[in-house]
Amino acid sequence: MPKVIDARGLSCPQPVVLARKAMAEADELTVIVDNSTARDNVSRMAQKEGFKVEVEERGEDIYLHLRREEKAETLPLRSAPSGPTVVFIPAYGVGRGPEELQEILIRGFLHTLNEVEPLPDTLIFINTGVKLTVEGSPVLEDLKALEEKGVEILICGTCLNYFGLTDKVAVGSVSNMYSIAEKLLGAGKIISL
Amino acid sequence: MEYGVVVFYSTSWALKAEKVAKEGGFEVKLIPTPRQISSDCGTALRFRWEDREALLALLESKGVRIEGVHKI
Repeated sequence: MPKVIDARGLSCPQPVVLARKAMAEADELTVIVDNSTARDNVSRMAQKEGFKVEVEERGEDIYLHLRREEKAETLPLRSAPSGPTVVFIPAYGVGRGPEELQEILIRGFLHTLNEVEPLPDTLIFINTGVKLTVEGSPVLEDLKALEEKGVEILICGTCLNYFGLTDKVAVGSVSNMYSIAEKLLGAGKIISL
Repeated sequence: MEYGVVVFYSTSWALKAEKVAKEGGFEVKLIPTPRQISSDCGTALRFRWEDREALLALLESKGVRIEGVHKI
C-alpha cells in the first residue's frame, strides 16, 4: 500500500514540501491536492527527482500517483560547482539606475536567497554594500536568517571604517582584504551584483 | 506567524503602500511577489495576516491602488 499524503487545502509551497519529504522515504506514494497549481508544482518536482507521475482526477480532488523509476544512472539535479559559491555585493543596491529601484532589488534579492536553493556559502559586502549589514538596515532580518542557516557573511572592515560604521555592524563578521581575496580566489562560482 | 501579501499594478504603488503602512505602525516588508501569485508588478507588500482589515482600510483611505491580496 503506497503512502498517501493529503495536501488538500494547503497553499504553495506546502504540498511540494510535504511531497518531497515523503519521496525521500518512499519509492511509491500518492499525493492528494485540490488545485492545478499544486498539481503542476508537485508533478514537476517529482519528475525532476526521477519519479513517474500519473494524474487521476476524482471530483474536486487530484490524486498524483508517484513512482520512482529505475534509472541506469542518477543524474545530478544541477551541475554542482567545484567549490563554494560566493555572492559579491559591492553596493547598496543592484545594478545602475534609480537609487530607489536599486534598493528594492537588493532587498528583494537578499529576501529571496532565504527562499530558494541552493544557499550560497559566503556573502561578501564591500564598498557601500557594507551599509546593508549595519543597524537600521532593511535587510538585517534576512541576513540574520541566512547566517543561522550557515551562510558566512564577511564585511569589509576598511569600508566600515571609511563610513564610520564599524561599531554599528549587526550581522556577520568584519573581515579584511586577505580573507576576501582568498574567498574569491577559492570560489567555485562568484555571483557579483 | 501567518502572512499575506498585497500586490500592486506598479512598483510606485508598492513603495507608496510601504511608506503609508510603516507610518501607520504596521509591520510590513516589501518582497518579490511570490512565484505562485501572478501580478503586473514584481514587488509585493508582505503583512501580518491578522492586520489585514486595518491595513487595507488604511491603504484605501490614503488612496493606494491595489491589485489584490493573497495569503501566503
